[in-house]
Amino acid sequence: MKKNVALIRRTPGAIVKRNEIVETLVTPVADIYETVDAFVVRLDMPGTSNENIRLSIDPDRLSIRAVVGTLHKEGTGFLLGEIGQKAYHREFNLGDGIDLDRVDAVYADGVLTITLGKTDAMKSREIRVN
Amino acid sequence: MSLIRWSPTRDLAAWPSDIVEMQREINKMFDNIFRGERDESFASSSWVPAVDIAEHDDEYIVKVELPGVSKDDVKITLESNILTIRGEKKQEKDTKKENLRRVERLYGTFQRSFTLPSTVKNDKIDASFRDGILHISLPKAEESKPKQIEVKVK
Repeated sequence: MKKNVALIRRTPGAIVKRNEIVETLVTPVADIYETVDAFVVRLDMPGTSNENIRLSIDPDRLSIRAVVGTLHKEGTGFLLGEIGQKAYHREFNLGDGIDLDRVDAVYADGVLTITLGKTDAMKSREIRVN
Repeated sequence: MSLIRWSPTRDLAAWPSDIVEMQREINKMFDNIFRGERDESFASSSWVPAVDIAEHDDEYIVKVELPGVSKDDVKITLESNILTIRGEKKQEKDTKKENLRRVERLYGTFQRSFTLPSTVKNDKIDASFRDGILHISLPKAEESKPKQIEVKVK
């Protein structure tokens, strides 16, 4: 999964800057909250896109993978490199009660929001007291 | 003689109270982490977004990772060659706070400052936001661009 990408750039003059970018696999941080009829998972995944996100779900597991396109032109010299070249991967174990036909995902502003619909049996109901 | 189950904490009573206090604090910290509860002191601490600064022949490019931050909540200022990016990450409005099951993302204010070379054209700075990454382009002034001088060998 790991890929080494070395970018070397020669600046005009005598100094040779060497910048090595190593692609790392990052576990994106997530928030999870529950609504009456769904679980909502929100992951911070800046720099990717709809086409680059692979979501797969089976009754036990939700798997999220995404690649981040190269942020910089080839041969760039870096003064600071904290973002680097990375790919995202995270998996969640699922309990009972997720309706696999009602799973929805939206990517916006670097945040992936996955809505996992509950099965009818799992939905909370209000019980009226007579 | 009966067997007494060993308790790791039983002998602690004899320990100096500050060690016991420290253990209590550590326990609290772990409890908060594993229960997924949001410790207020942790939540309010400001987070530091990751930044790349790249240099090209004609410009510097600054990229800041700001997933989930609204464009309106980011402020970029340049004052005597110091570029400052500050803002706030807010929790999404539709989040059901009372039904949070896990909170790993950090919210709150952030600020980062960088000293720019004096060769940046201050009035030509441009910023855009895409996929949670803020791009700032800082063009270099003409005189600082690398020039190639051809030397003819006679």
